[in-house]
Amino acid sequence: MNYYFGRGRARWIPYLLLLPGLFFYLLIAVGPSLATAVYSFTDANGIAGVPVNWIGTSNYQEFLLEGQAAQENIGALERTIEFCFLVTTIQFALGLLVALLLNQRLRGTRIFRTLFFLPVILGVTIQGLVWILFLYPLGGPVEKVIGLFGAHSEFLGGAPGEAFLWVVVVQVWANLGVTMVIFIAGLQAIPEELNEAARIDGAGTWEVFRNITWPLLTPSVNTNLLLNIVGSLQAWQLFYVLLGYRNGTQVLGYVIYAQGFGGATSAFRQGYAAAASIVLFFLVLVVGLSTQTFLRRREDRLLG
Amino acid sequence: MNTTIETTTRLPAGVGQRRGPLVPINYGRIAAYFILLMLALVYVGPLLMLVNTALNTLPGFSRNASALTATLNFQNFVVAWNEANFPRYLINSIIYAVVATTVYALTAVFVAFPIARRYVRGANILLILFIIALFLPPALIPQFQLILRLGLYNSQIGYIMLFLVNPIGIIVLVNYIRSLPKELDEAAALDGCGYFRFVVSIVIPLIRPALATVVILHAIGIWNELILPTIYLSNQNYYPVTRGLIVFEGVYGYNWPTLAAAVLLMAIPMVILYLFLQRYIISGLAQGAVKG
Repeated sequence: MNYYFGRGRARWIPYLLLLPGLFFYLLIAVGPSLATAVYSFTDANGIAGVPVNWIGTSNYQEFLLEGQAAQENIGALERTIEFCFLVTTIQFALGLLVALLLNQRLRGTRIFRTLFFLPVILGVTIQGLVWILFLYPLGGPVEKVIGLFGAHSEFLGGAPGEAFLWVVVVQVWANLGVTMVIFIAGLQAIPEELNEAARIDGAGTWEVFRNITWPLLTPSVNTNLLLNIVGSLQAWQLFYVLLGYRNGTQVLGYVIYAQGFGGATSAFRQGYAAAASIVLFFLVLVVGLSTQTFLRRREDRLLG
Repeated sequence: MNTTIETTTRLPAGVGQRRGPLVPINYGRIAAYFILLMLALVYVGPLLMLVNTALNTLPGFSRNASALTATLNFQNFVVAWNEANFPRYLINSIIYAVVATTVYALTAVFVAFPIARRYVRGANILLILFIIALFLPPALIPQFQLILRLGLYNSQIGYIMLFLVNPIGIIVLVNYIRSLPKELDEAAALDGCGYFRFVVSIVIPLIRPALATVVILHAIGIWNELILPTIYLSNQNYYPVTRGLIVFEGVYGYNWPTLAAAVLLMAIPMVILYLFLQRYIISGLAQGAVKG
């Protein structure tokens, strides 16, 4: 590539100016990320000055195979997949539906779009606290509404399985806006003439959707599926705000945090937590790559 | 009678926008509005409940949490503001967001520009390096060990350092810079403009839309971060608002009117900012996501 801004020493200026950004990136993100694998074979803890010993694969053995704790970890692993499945399915379907509705020329679509995206801006702390209040079990609004149907719930304080489902609800509520916005962008990229031509040829709403909208929406479908799947496998912060570390509700991301920084035990077992990180990494890798492959094949089939 | 009036009054509004059969659309319209309004309830509901509770008194809330508040108890906000150490947290959050975002934005432009233009060797490999970040294992543990060993645990500088990185922002900038004509560089260089001055005084103004999106999203991310302050900051005086709010919840969890006032105090600036910057936030997010 031609470089116009001088030769000799001046040729080094872009390199020099690039260095700070690259340096921070390697130091803070890539380096530590790769070092996670190394730490997973040690007994590192969170206390300054304590020597770190190499202990081979015992973190992994303990995490996956030994006793009660391992069973709880496997439970957390299954729950992570369950969480991912539920969140992805609901968020994807609802996000698509809302985007389709808002892409029509209805009045007030901007207000709806603004509203549905709002939680994304507020962040997990406010999202969580607002829902703890909304789900207030002693006469809160949701409790009153389900009371009309004769139902009763302890919500976030209820049985683990139930509390878990409420986190799914809040997670979808919080992130639906992102999925919706990506779908709307995809829908707006579809030329209006195509829809009109199909309608003139007598195609109904469903046929237009199936034969035109859905195939042409492939890029947004891919982005949303991948983002939702990878994102929900790694998400755990709403569990932290809504439930705290509670047996029978944790997902893998939360196990990593609780083991490494307190919550599960009083010890900061960071080597052990690093092993858990690698387990989560492989889960994300396997699920993410198979999704990617599936989406590629689908894209080839649809768009040739 | 009614129906004819409706169609004649509706028609002019619809004519310019969409031509087609009116009857099936109107039918679907009702269903569409119904679904949207139901969903809107789930979005407005929690926020209304928050406002309602923040204006309530504790006895009023205990009697009937969902009832419309009988008082406008602004005292809650005073208590929340003073007791929550709110001014301190607010200043901290602003410092973290502004300093880290400024440093990040400057370094990011100087990373993205030469990569987009291939002014450095291995530009493609560098770009891939930023893309794979999304799939690497979580860096949480070694990052903590690093900060600990650098003696930056419980330090504001150490905390800010954590936010000098955002690979997605780099990718967005690279994509945007690629759309600028290369003739610009050539012409500027012929006029004797140096590399640094070119980037600062010509490239940065030209990529302002993309840069605005990256800056806003990055700052929001810092503002909303809850886990990193929990891990890295033990001194209460260093807490950002997120962490402060969770601590406040621990103390005032029983007193929802006061807690709700604190949550609202923290949410309102974000909502106002969002309404003003919506354009950058939403369009940028959609573009970045579809390209990436």
